[in-house]
Amino acid sequence: MKVKILQWHAVASWTWDAQDETCGICRMAFDGCCPDCKFPGDDCPLIWGACNHAYHLHCILKWVNSQTSTPLCPMCRREWQFKG
Amino acid sequence: MERDDADGSLDSWAQFCSLSNELLGGDGDLSVGPRLAPVVADLCSRGLATLVRDYFLHSLEETFRNNAVKKFWQHFHPYCSASAVDRIKFCVKEHWPDDILSRALEDICLEKSYQEKCVLVLVHALQLYEDRTAKRKLKAVDCSSSLMPRYQLMVSSVLLTTLPLSFPEILNVYFKKKLEELNVIMAGSYESDQHGNHEPFESSNASDWHCGMDIDGQEVSESSCLVKNIGKIVRDLRCLGFTSVTEDAYSSAIIWLLKSKVYELAGDDYRVPVLGCVKKWIQAVPLQFLHALLTYLGDSVDYDSGSSGLKSPLASRPSSFPGIGVPSEALVRWHMRLEYFAYETLQDLRIGKLFEIIVDYPESSPAIEDLKLCLEYTGQHSKLVDSFISSLRYRLLTAGASTNDILHQYVSTIKALRTIDPTGVFLEAVGEPIRDYLRGRKDTIKCIVTMLTDGSGGNASGTGNAGDNLLEELNRDAENQENADYDNHANIDEKQAWLNSESWEPDPVEADPLKGSRNRRKVDILGLMVSIIGSKDQLVNEYRVMLAEKLLSKSDFEIDSDIRTLELLKIHFGESSMQKCEIMLNDLIDSKRTNSNIKTSLLKTSQTVPGQEEAEISHDVLDATIISSNFWPPIQTEDLVVPASVDQLLSDYAKRFHQIKTPRKLLWKKNLGTVKLELEFEGRSMQFTVAPVHAAIIMRFQEKSSWTSKTLATEIGIPMDSLNRRISFWTSKGILTESAGPDADDHTFTVVDSMSGVNKNSIVNERLAEYQMTEEEGESSVASVEEQLKKEMTVYEKFIIGMLTNFGSMSLDRIHNTLKMFCIAEPSYDKSLQQLQSFLSGLVADEKLETRDGLYLLKR
Repeated sequence: MKVKILQWHAVASWTWDAQDETCGICRMAFDGCCPDCKFPGDDCPLIWGACNHAYHLHCILKWVNSQTSTPLCPMCRREWQFKG
Repeated sequence: MERDDADGSLDSWAQFCSLSNELLGGDGDLSVGPRLAPVVADLCSRGLATLVRDYFLHSLEETFRNNAVKKFWQHFHPYCSASAVDRIKFCVKEHWPDDILSRALEDICLEKSYQEKCVLVLVHALQLYEDRTAKRKLKAVDCSSSLMPRYQLMVSSVLLTTLPLSFPEILNVYFKKKLEELNVIMAGSYESDQHGNHEPFESSNASDWHCGMDIDGQEVSESSCLVKNIGKIVRDLRCLGFTSVTEDAYSSAIIWLLKSKVYELAGDDYRVPVLGCVKKWIQAVPLQFLHALLTYLGDSVDYDSGSSGLKSPLASRPSSFPGIGVPSEALVRWHMRLEYFAYETLQDLRIGKLFEIIVDYPESSPAIEDLKLCLEYTGQHSKLVDSFISSLRYRLLTAGASTNDILHQYVSTIKALRTIDPTGVFLEAVGEPIRDYLRGRKDTIKCIVTMLTDGSGGNASGTGNAGDNLLEELNRDAENQENADYDNHANIDEKQAWLNSESWEPDPVEADPLKGSRNRRKVDILGLMVSIIGSKDQLVNEYRVMLAEKLLSKSDFEIDSDIRTLELLKIHFGESSMQKCEIMLNDLIDSKRTNSNIKTSLLKTSQTVPGQEEAEISHDVLDATIISSNFWPPIQTEDLVVPASVDQLLSDYAKRFHQIKTPRKLLWKKNLGTVKLELEFEGRSMQFTVAPVHAAIIMRFQEKSSWTSKTLATEIGIPMDSLNRRISFWTSKGILTESAGPDADDHTFTVVDSMSGVNKNSIVNERLAEYQMTEEEGESSVASVEEQLKKEMTVYEKFIIGMLTNFGSMSLDRIHNTLKMFCIAEPSYDKSLQQLQSFLSGLVADEKLETRDGLYLLKR
């Protein structure tokens, strides 16, 4: 007997694979989305800082823009730089 | 002088007595008249006028009672003295009451008319005297004029006092028979009229009642002849003082005929409107009859008999009847009375069968329309509510009825009653018991959601197409809402507002004043369905679980219908509550795009490495649904080791995904999805669509044609019992055979490669196999709402156990309130009383708790 697979429709879930579960700013799950977004994933990406802390892109941008002086990472207080 | 006078009066009196006896006893000899006059005048001048009158009347009565009345009743004696059974025999005889009645009436009327002549003789004599002495003796005047009425009174009182009990019955039978006869004649002409009713003169058929000049002349004359006969009898009866008895008899006969006509027309067919027919029939038969009768009796004074069938210029008045012209008042009254009776009869008939009517609702809408008109006329809505509720209780709300059927009937009820009563007041009353009952059923939510989303109504047998209807309803509601919005924006001027306020109507009397009339205005089926469940969140949650299951078992990315459903649900439940479902659908759309993206790039790379794909399965066969698991209901995962070749495909795919969507990663849920595969035997191949587990199992049999269940289970990485459950799918298809293995619980499975035995087997098992496949599919990939709830509630189990240890026993309410009070920290207690109750009953079933008198306590 030989089995020939015609179609294999599999199911998977995606994850950002950040070390933490939730965003340090909005306290929402990384695999969810920030409070301003409707859809997770491509619409609400994560961003890592040079310090290796991850936030929702929208959250950290809001944070960075609200800072008058040089923006710091909300977690470790080092200067915030986007991880290249 | 005085003595002389007394003698003279005695003489005159004796003369008068003999003369009047001669007059009454004589056979039609009125020649005594002239001789009587002077005697009467003499007596009157002596002031004995009243004595004369009374004596005369008395002797008339004697004669009448002895001769005419006795004879008259003798005619009916055989019937009156017969027993009930024998009376039926009389009724069956063809000309029975007809002949005897006319003969008896003829006799008595002859007698009466002779007596009347006698009375007239006396009246004449009295008048002669009065004329002469008019100025002096006014007293005698009322003697002459009151004589005739007194005589009439005497006749009727004599007859009525001797009236046998069954005489009205005889009359009734007579009129029934006659009307039936007439109905048959009229039905003929009525029908032929129906056929040839093209001419604008609708009146022609009716007006020819009298002139008899149309094509159906024969029938018409026949019927008019019949009516004349009846009229004669009625007139005779009336002149004997039987006016009310007669009227009773013929009206009850008409009503009886009408009733049987309504029953005959309405019957058990609900697909045709009958009210129009009944009305037409009322005009065609009983009204024509009454009209003819009243005309014959000279009662319908208004009737313009001179024109005899020519339409009166006023005939276009709304109250006029075809062919009758301006109807007399009596006729109008009759018409209203008959119509009311018809409405009431039909209404009672329909209300009695309302349950059946609603069962085949869309087809039976004519019957509903009829009922609506009837109720508008009679206003007996409460009768409907009472009777319908009791039939619901008796026939629908029983353990034997499936939830789907109940819901289907509920929806039909809503629609039907909405037609009858747009304000929804009666629907409220009727719907309440159904809703109460459905709340007690476990699968209600599931059925409702299935009805909403699934065209087949979630019914395996496919009988319920309620889903279609409900979705359709949603569509229509959605459109209506759009229209309403449009209206609001377009016509929000004062004029429109004024018109709206003018068209306001008060609620029906039966309305419950506690409930605002505002929310009663719009009968929203979905809203009513949601009110069964209690809250929309529960419905949305259930929908999400079902949607998840549906989406996960899809092998393509076609979700157009689901998107449509979701859009409709969003209109009703608000965008925010459908957010998660929207994300789920969005995942599918994204997956489709990502999938094709990944596949094309994978195929490109695999082309660069030729030779590899010979042994391997092409990347082309793999599709993936990639979900945002945070927004999906909890998904049941199970470890599964898929065959190496497939595993390779999966990891290639995941790698590719990681490249495209850095830094995101894919986590495979290997037990989910669908696999289409083809089993190739020597000279034969079979296609199957199965779950990945099944595919993993059967693919192992490529390497080795025989496995023991233990080793296979470890290879595939699933527990033994679940393997045994799954593998039975293949044994049932006749692909594998089972034989006793080395251990008692360890079986050996072998591929059936030879075709000989299989063919038979597979054909025999075809049905069974399909069944098992559906069974298999019933095993859900998503945790059901109950399971989710149970999982969430286990946190509180410790609290509850602790509470009960401290307090001994507590009521449901108290547990609920205590939890609400103390469990405010994460996770805070947000469950409903019902949810707590079902969780507690689960604990009772697990023998952790027990209940006593509605109190929960720890099981010892």
